[in-house]
Amino acid sequence: MGLFILRRLGVMLLTALCLTFIVFWLTNLAPNLEKLAKTQGNARMSDEAVVSWLENRGYSQALPVKYGQWLGVLPGYVIEGADGEVRARCQLPGEPVEDASTFCGILQGDWGYSTVFKDEVGSIVATRLGLTGKLMLCVMLVMVPGALIIGVLAGMREGSRTDRSLSTVSIVSTATPEYVSGVVFISVFATATFGMQWFKGTATSAMDDATFENFFLPVITIALYGMGYIARMTRASMTEVMTAQYIRTARLKGVSFPKIVLRHALRNALIAPFTVIMLQFPWLLNGVVIVETLFNYKGFGWVLVQAAGNNDIELLLGVSIVSVFVVLITQLISDIGYVFLNPRIRIS
Amino acid sequence: MEALTWTGSLGGYLNPIFMILVGLLIIALVAQMVLGFFAPPQTLQANPDGTIAATAGPLGLAETGVKWLFLATLTVVVAYIIVPLVMPYGSAGIIGEMSKRFLPVWVALIALFAVSIYYKRKLGLYGKLFDSTIGMIGFALVMFWVFTALFVGVFDWIGTHDYLSQVSGLKNKVPGVPVPEGTEGAIPHYLLGGDNLARDIFSRVVTGSVFVIAIAPLATIFAFMVGITLGLPAGFYGGKLDTFLSFVANLILAFPVILLFYLLVTPEIVQTGIPSYMAAFLFVFPLIFFGVLLNSRYYTQPAKRNAILIPVLGILGWLYLSIINQKGTVIDFLPAWMDLFDISILVVFVSVVFVNAPTVFRIVRGLTLDLRTRDYVAAAQTRGEGAWYIMLWEILPNARGPLIVDFCLRIGYTTILLGTLGFFGLGLSSESPDWGSTINEGRKLLLIYAHPALPPAVALLSLVLGLNLLADGLREESLKD
Amino acid sequence: MTHITTKIHPYAKVYAEDAKAGKLDRREFLARTTALGVTATAAYGLIGAAAPAHAAGHAQQGGTIRMQMEVRALKDPRTYDWTQIAFFSHGWLEYLVEYNNDGSFAPMLLSSWEVNDDATVYTLNVRPGVKWNDGSDFTAADVARNIEGWCDKNVEGNSMAGRFAVLIDEATGTAVDGSVEVVDDLTVRLNLPASDITLIAGMADYPAAIVPADFDPENMTGNPVGTGPYLPETLEVGVKAVLVRNEGFEWWGYAENRGAFLDRIEYIDYGTDPSAWVAAAAADEVDMFYETVGDFVDVVEGIGWERSEVASAATIVIRPNQLAEVDGTQPYADKRVRQAIAMAVDNAVCLELGYANRGVVARNQHVGPMHPAWADVPGLPFDPEGALALLTEAGMADFEMEITSIDDDWRKNTTDAVAAQLRDAGFNIKRTIIPGSTFWNDWTKYPFSSTNWNHRPIDTQILGLAYRSGEAWNEAGFANAEFDTLLAEANSLADAGERREVMAKLQGIMTDEGVTIQPYWRTVYRHAKPGIVGWDMHIAYLPQMYKVAFAA
Repeated sequence: MGLFILRRLGVMLLTALCLTFIVFWLTNLAPNLEKLAKTQGNARMSDEAVVSWLENRGYSQALPVKYGQWLGVLPGYVIEGADGEVRARCQLPGEPVEDASTFCGILQGDWGYSTVFKDEVGSIVATRLGLTGKLMLCVMLVMVPGALIIGVLAGMREGSRTDRSLSTVSIVSTATPEYVSGVVFISVFATATFGMQWFKGTATSAMDDATFENFFLPVITIALYGMGYIARMTRASMTEVMTAQYIRTARLKGVSFPKIVLRHALRNALIAPFTVIMLQFPWLLNGVVIVETLFNYKGFGWVLVQAAGNNDIELLLGVSIVSVFVVLITQLISDIGYVFLNPRIRIS
Repeated sequence: MEALTWTGSLGGYLNPIFMILVGLLIIALVAQMVLGFFAPPQTLQANPDGTIAATAGPLGLAETGVKWLFLATLTVVVAYIIVPLVMPYGSAGIIGEMSKRFLPVWVALIALFAVSIYYKRKLGLYGKLFDSTIGMIGFALVMFWVFTALFVGVFDWIGTHDYLSQVSGLKNKVPGVPVPEGTEGAIPHYLLGGDNLARDIFSRVVTGSVFVIAIAPLATIFAFMVGITLGLPAGFYGGKLDTFLSFVANLILAFPVILLFYLLVTPEIVQTGIPSYMAAFLFVFPLIFFGVLLNSRYYTQPAKRNAILIPVLGILGWLYLSIINQKGTVIDFLPAWMDLFDISILVVFVSVVFVNAPTVFRIVRGLTLDLRTRDYVAAAQTRGEGAWYIMLWEILPNARGPLIVDFCLRIGYTTILLGTLGFFGLGLSSESPDWGSTINEGRKLLLIYAHPALPPAVALLSLVLGLNLLADGLREESLKD
Repeated sequence: MTHITTKIHPYAKVYAEDAKAGKLDRREFLARTTALGVTATAAYGLIGAAAPAHAAGHAQQGGTIRMQMEVRALKDPRTYDWTQIAFFSHGWLEYLVEYNNDGSFAPMLLSSWEVNDDATVYTLNVRPGVKWNDGSDFTAADVARNIEGWCDKNVEGNSMAGRFAVLIDEATGTAVDGSVEVVDDLTVRLNLPASDITLIAGMADYPAAIVPADFDPENMTGNPVGTGPYLPETLEVGVKAVLVRNEGFEWWGYAENRGAFLDRIEYIDYGTDPSAWVAAAAADEVDMFYETVGDFVDVVEGIGWERSEVASAATIVIRPNQLAEVDGTQPYADKRVRQAIAMAVDNAVCLELGYANRGVVARNQHVGPMHPAWADVPGLPFDPEGALALLTEAGMADFEMEITSIDDDWRKNTTDAVAAQLRDAGFNIKRTIIPGSTFWNDWTKYPFSSTNWNHRPIDTQILGLAYRSGEAWNEAGFANAEFDTLLAEANSLADAGERREVMAKLQGIMTDEGVTIQPYWRTVYRHAKPGIVGWDMHIAYLPQMYKVAFAA
C-alpha cells in the first residue's frame, strides 16, 4: 500500500511539473510577453522599448532557465539593465539588490507577484481559494446526499415508476448547464417578475457573511448539474447490487426490504459513486468559474478568469498549480478510497 | 399589421381544453405519487380456475388515468402543431406560424420515423432504438434540430429574417410583433420578438442550430478518431506505449478545461500559430484511421486495396489540407482554388477536439483491455491476422455499444462546452447566433426582458436532453443483447 | 460662499446680458463666468437669480455608504484614465477647483482666482488654513509644484499636459520658464504665452488631484498624505476599496461647512455587466451606483430606487485610427474611406439601439449644442449607396474592417449597431469584443474601435485632448496642421461669439475629414436607494463624495 501511494505521488509530481511547464511555455510566448510589457509599461512602447523592458526584467532568458528560477532550483537573475539599473528577481520592493536572496521560487515558498492585483500571488490564491472552498463545501453538502438518495431510491426497484421519474429528473439535471440554470434561477427567484423573490441574485456579500439567502442560488446551480451524474452512477451501481446473489439469498431468507437496502446493499452500492464523487472535483471547477462569474462571487474561478484575461503570468501559474494539485489529489484519494471500500481488491 | 398572439384564433377552442387536461394530469400524477408511497404493491392472485388476476386498487386507477390524460394532452399539443398548417397566415398565432415554418422538419421527421419503424427489425441497434420510448423521444428531439440545421444551412428555409439585420423600432419587442412596412423578410412579424439589437430572435435561434449541429458532432467525431487510433494500440499492446499515452491523456485531463481555453483561445496564441499546428496534428488522425482500417482489411489483395485506398485517402487528404489551411495563419500554402473552406473558428474547433480526445482514449483503452482476452481475438490470432486487423475489425466492432452511447453523451457535452465558450466570449464573434453567446447576451437584460434569453436556452436544453435520452435508450437496448 | 470677488471680469457682464436676453442658457452662463473667477453666488446675482441653497441642512452626520463601482489600481494622478480611480483617491487627494452640475466652477483648495481680460494672466489665491494630514501647511509652493508637474510632458501618459498645453515649452517638454510664479505664500500667478480660457476647467478635471511634495505613485495607499477628510483603509483591485474618515484631522471643509458627512465609503466592484449591479441593488448589497446605463434605468427604478439624471456632453466615438496599419497598409488614412464610414451610419439608429434613446443625436463633430461656442454646422448626409460608391472609389470595397469594442452593455450595443449598418450598406465587417480587463491596454491603437468620452464643459477642451496632433489620447491618429492652428486660435478667444466662427471651421474639418463617428450625446444617470442626499449624478463623473449623506 505504501509503495502504491509513493508511486502515485511520484507520478503526481511529474504531472504537476509537466503541466506547469506547459502553462509557463504558453504564457511566455513572445506575443504574450509583448502584451505584458505593454500593459505594465505603457501601451505606446516602441518595439525596441519592449525588448529592453523584457530584457531588464529577465523575461528574455531561455525558457528552461526562467522555469528553473520560478521553481527555485536555479538562482534568480541579477541583471544590469540597459538603463543602468540593476534588478534582481528575488529583490523585495525597496530592498537593495545586494541583500536579495539567491533563490526564490515555489520551493522557497515564494509564489511571485501579481501584475494585475499588485499583491503577492501566494496571499491572493490563499484568500480566493478559501472563498471557493466555502462554496465547494456547501455544494458538496447539498449535492452528495441529494444525489445518493435519488440514486438509491431509483435503483432499489429497477423499472418502477419511481425509478423512471427519478431517472428522468437526473437526466434533465445533467442536461442543464450552469449558465442556463443560473440564468433561470436568477430570473425566477431573485427578481420580482414571478413574485417569488426569495433569494438574492448576487453572492458578493456571501464572501464575508454567507447566509441562506445569498448563498443558496449559486450553491444549487452548481449542485444540480453535478447531482444528476452522481445519481445515475449510484442508480446503476444500486441496480447491479440488488440483482446480486447475496441480496437474493437475503430476500429468500425473509429479511425485510428496508433492512436489505440499508444493511446489505448500501455499502457495496456506494463504492462506485465514491470514485465518481471524488473525480467530480476537477469537473466542478468549470461550474465554479461560471457560477462565480454569474453571481459575482470573487473566488478562485474569478481569479483564474482575471489572471488568464490579463496574462498575469505568475498568478496564472499559481492558479494552475493549485488546480492541478486538486485534480491529482482527488484522483489519489479516489484510488485509495476505492481500495479501502472494496474488499475484493488487494494491492500487493 | 396586427401583433400576433401566442395561439391565435385556434386558442379560443384549444386553450381551455388544454388547461383542463393539464390540470387533471397534474392532479393524477400527484395522486399517483402519493399513492405509490402508501398503497400496497400490486399483488398477483392465483384464482381457482387457474388464471391470475392483478388487483388494481386505487393505484391502478391512478395509473390508468395518467395514461389516458397524458395521451389526450398529447393529442391537443399535436393539434396545436398540425391544425395551423391548413389555416391562413396570421390566424393561428405565434405557435401556429412557427409550426408552419418548421413544416419541412415535420415532414422529414415523420418520413424518417415511418421508414425506421417499418424496417426496424432489419436495422440492428438503430432499429432497436424504436422499441424504447425514451430513446424515440430523444431521437426525435435530436433529429428535429438536425433537420432544422440542415434546412436552414442548406436551403435557407425556416428562418424568417436575416439573423444579423437590425430593424429600427423592434428593440426588445415582445414575441409576435409586426415589423415596419418595407422590411425584408419572409413574413411580416418577428415570431419570437426582437433582441437587444432589434434582430429577429426566431431566425437567430434556428440559425444558431446550424452552428451547433455542424460543430458539435464533427468535433466529437474527430475526438473519437484520435481516441480510437491511440486507444486501441495502447490497450492492445500495453507496456511502455500504454504508460506513455495514458500519462499524456491524464496530463490533459488534469488541466481545468476553462484554463485551457483561456490559454488557447486568445488572439496572442492564434498569432503564434499553435492552434494551426495542433489542427495539423489532430486532424491527421482520421487519415491514419481510415488508411490503417482499409489496409489491414485488404492488404492480401493489393489491387483491390489500391483501388479503394487511393481515392479514399486522396479525398480525405484534400479535405485535411483545406481544413488546416487557413488564410493569414502560419499554415497558408494551398492555392485559393484548392482551399475548399475557411473555418473562422478553427481555434474553437481544435480546442474542443483537444479536450475531448483523452476521455475517449481512456474509454477505448479500457474496452480494449477487456476485449483482448476474448476467444474471438485468440481465434483471429491463431488464424494469423495482423494486430491492426484484430484491433479494428475484431475488437472495435464489439466495443461499439458503449462507444455509441458515449458518442451521444459526448455530443451533448460538446454542445454545453461550446455554450460555455460563448458564455465567456472566447473565440466566437459577438454577433454569432450560437446559443451560448445568445444566452449570454440575453441574460444581461433578463430582469426586464426574459424573451431574448429563453428561446436559445430552451433550444440548447432540448438538444442536450435529446442526446442524453437517446444515449439512455441506446444503452438500455444494447444491454438487452 | 464667503468669498466676494471685487472685480467682475468684463466678459462676465457680456455673458450676463446674453443670458438675460435668452441667448445663453444658465448652465453655459455659469460655466463661462465662474471659469473667469466670478463666484457662483455673484454669477447668479449677475442674472438676477439666487444661488441654490446648500443641502447640508438635511444631512445626517455619520454612516457607511456602499457604492457599486469598478475598483482599479492606483497610479500617478496625472496619468489617470478612469474617473473611478479618482473616486477612491479623492478621499485624500483633493482638487484646486470643482466643477458642478449647474455649470459653475467652485473653489476648493483655491479660495478664488482672477483672470485678466485677454485670459493670459491667471492669479490663483490659495485657501488659507488648509493643512496636509501630516501636519504641514498647504501653500502656494504646493500649487506651483503640482502645476509644473502637470506640464511635464516627459511623464508617459500624462494627460494633464494636454490640458495645460499652452504653458508647455515644446523644446523641453516642461513648463515655460517663469510661467508659474509664486507671488507669496498664498498666491500663484500663471503667465501664459498665449491666452487660454480652459485652464480652470482643466484644474477641475479628475487627473488634476493635488499631491504632496514627496509623492510616490508606487506607494499611494502606504503613505496617504493629502489634504482630504478621508484615508484609504483597504484597496483590493477588482474587489473592494474602502475610505474611512481621518479621525482627529481637522479638514479645512469642516469649518466651511462643506460636509464629508459619511464615516466610511465602500466601493464594491461588480464587474462591467450592469445586470450584476442590478442584482446587487436588488439584494441590498449596495446603496448607490456609480452610473446607470441604457436599458437598466427602467430596471433599477423597478426596484424602487431614485433617479438622478443630467443631460451631458458625455458620448461615444467609433473611430478609425488613421495611423493604424492592417496587413501593411493604412486603410483609414484615405479620407474617402472615413467619409464613407460616416455616411453609411444613421446616428439616430445608433442612439435607439445603443442607448435606448436616452440622449440627443449628434453630428460626428464632438462639439454639441451644450457647449458655449457650438456652431450649427451640418454633418455628412446619411447615404448608404453614396457611401459604398465612395468606398469602391477608394478601392477598399473588399477590405474587411475589424471593429473592436469593450464587452459591456451600451458601448458594445452602439458598436454593434454601427457594424450592422455598415454591413447593410455593403461594407465587409468583422466585430471583435475585448473584455474590459484588457480593452484599455491598447485603446488608442485599435484600427477601428469605440471609446466613451466624458463631458467637458468648454467646446475646445475635448478637441484639444483627443484630436490635436500627437496628443496622448488622440485615438483617431488625427494630425492636421490647419486644425491645430485653428484650435489654438479658438483657445485664445474668451468670447463665445467670436470663438463660434472659428469653431464652425473646426467642426467643418471634423465633418469633412470624417474623423470619427460620434453618434449621440448621452443623458447620464445614477440611481441610489431612497434616504440618501447629495448623490446626484455628476455631469462629468467627477467625484464629490463629500457631499453625500444619509438624510436626517
